[in-house]
Amino acid sequence: MAMSLPFLGYGLGLRNEYYEQILEQSPAVDWFEVISENYLVQGGKALYYLDAIAERYPLVMHGVSLSIGGPHALDTDYLKQIRQLAERIQPAWVSDHLCWSRGSAHQLHDLLPLPYTEESLYHVAARVRQVQDVLERPLVLENVSSYVRSKADEFTEWEFLNALAHLSGCQLLLDVNNVYVSSRNHGFDAWTFIRNLPPQSIRQLHLAGHMDYGDYVVDTHDHPVCDPVWDLYQQTLEHLGPVSTLLERDDHFPPFEELLTELSKARELGAMALARRSLCA
Amino acid sequence: MRLTDWQLAFEQHLLSETPVANSGFAATLLGGPTLDVDTGLAIYHNAYISRLQDVLRHDFSAILYWLGDDEFAALTEAYVRRYPSAHYSLRWLGERFPTFILEHLVAEQGVPLAELARLEWAFTLAFDAPQGEPLTLHDMASLAPEDWPGLQVTLAPSVQQVFCRFNTVAIWRASKDESDFPHSQALDPVQICLVWRHQNVCHYRSLEPAEICALAGMVTTGWRFSELCAELAVTYAEGAPLQAVTWLKQWVQDGLLERRAP
Ligand SMILES: [Fe+2]
Repeated sequence: MAMSLPFLGYGLGLRNEYYEQILEQSPAVDWFEVISENYLVQGGKALYYLDAIAERYPLVMHGVSLSIGGPHALDTDYLKQIRQLAERIQPAWVSDHLCWSRGSAHQLHDLLPLPYTEESLYHVAARVRQVQDVLERPLVLENVSSYVRSKADEFTEWEFLNALAHLSGCQLLLDVNNVYVSSRNHGFDAWTFIRNLPPQSIRQLHLAGHMDYGDYVVDTHDHPVCDPVWDLYQQTLEHLGPVSTLLERDDHFPPFEELLTELSKARELGAMALARRSLCA
Repeated sequence: MRLTDWQLAFEQHLLSETPVANSGFAATLLGGPTLDVDTGLAIYHNAYISRLQDVLRHDFSAILYWLGDDEFAALTEAYVRRYPSAHYSLRWLGERFPTFILEHLVAEQGVPLAELARLEWAFTLAFDAPQGEPLTLHDMASLAPEDWPGLQVTLAPSVQQVFCRFNTVAIWRASKDESDFPHSQALDPVQICLVWRHQNVCHYRSLEPAEICALAGMVTTGWRFSELCAELAVTYAEGAPLQAVTWLKQWVQDGLLERRAP
């Protein structure tokens, strides 16, 4: 059950804009998620603050360039560095995305969608096992937002995630905003997606904002969370029980206090959802 | 279509100059109720190029200040088309930008601009270089008198040396201050600008030829402190030891030096 996984509470993404404030004010944030690649360096300010913050808060490592579904061989040097960073800061878990971000020859630095086919499934599952062997821990994979899908799809995205978790033992980072964005873009029901994921595999949730262009939605991570995503989040927690929740903001950084206020909102809505869950149990 | 072929076609789409994909690849895709395939592909295409340009805008803000938004956008787009990213970390995206500027622009514009790009890149290198063990004034104070003549040093790992044939540092400074740009001018004599990190803050300083020679003698040629004094005696006569100590103290205070194992 989801409850048997550690519940870290409500966290924020660690961004250099906020390092000093975090150390000076010890804000009421339960944990921080760090972008792994930002700390795969040999020295300097980022590592200095990372070490200091790791002494005070639980951390989770979130990568963006594993390219688990890519057409290339896995980058063993990168994996080794991820492992070393994990040894250094002892994160509660290590995550990346169910996507590919590197092509045949070049790094593409985007979270590109995979066709949900049997071929992709076996390709990704084998690579997840390879990564887990190096990291010696389960890999946590996040669903991404997408803007096209392949005609060759043999599964829905949630069926694919189920099968992948089953085949590889990976766990899931459910980004509620990404589900919402993709549901609008592809015309599926967001709750059907979430309801059909394996609850016992869901280790973490993401909340974020997006840009709504009317006909489509773009996952920009530079806005506050919107109401339909808050609703979906509450429904998700009511269904799953407590799951560590992270509020993501990757651009247009507001004053730290604004993020804390938004995090309090997650906390309150989360508490209400969990209370409803216990009443109905 | 096999997975790898499909990914190759997707990659081709991102790398191509136009946001419109070739029809063969587009035909393998589905849109949604109100999002057609071409718009979806254009979203990926725009996101690819603008993410890379954002990184370069951040790492080369003085070049951006010099060129303005439009020219900078054109130059950086040409750069990432010519040299797509080869490292998993965007931190290394700009590594070949100074070289590209020389290749891409006419020499008159390219040479000073490439020098400015090299200076900005030096800051990124200093920023996250290994810490090393820079000598401190405290270390120097506890050095026994008999160890002074044989003292040998190297540069701390974060120290970058940028060879300046133009008034690049003044141009860089103007961009940071958002003040009026000085005209690009050749320098005579040339300068070395050092860029380094000390206590987690990046610093820079231009060196005059005499100080460059003294520093290079110590860190590159491997002079002992006594040899530095001897070399300086040619110019400074009996003032040589004082000049040597003055420079050495400055270098140590700045965090530029590590002790070379005897
Ligand atoms: Fe996310």
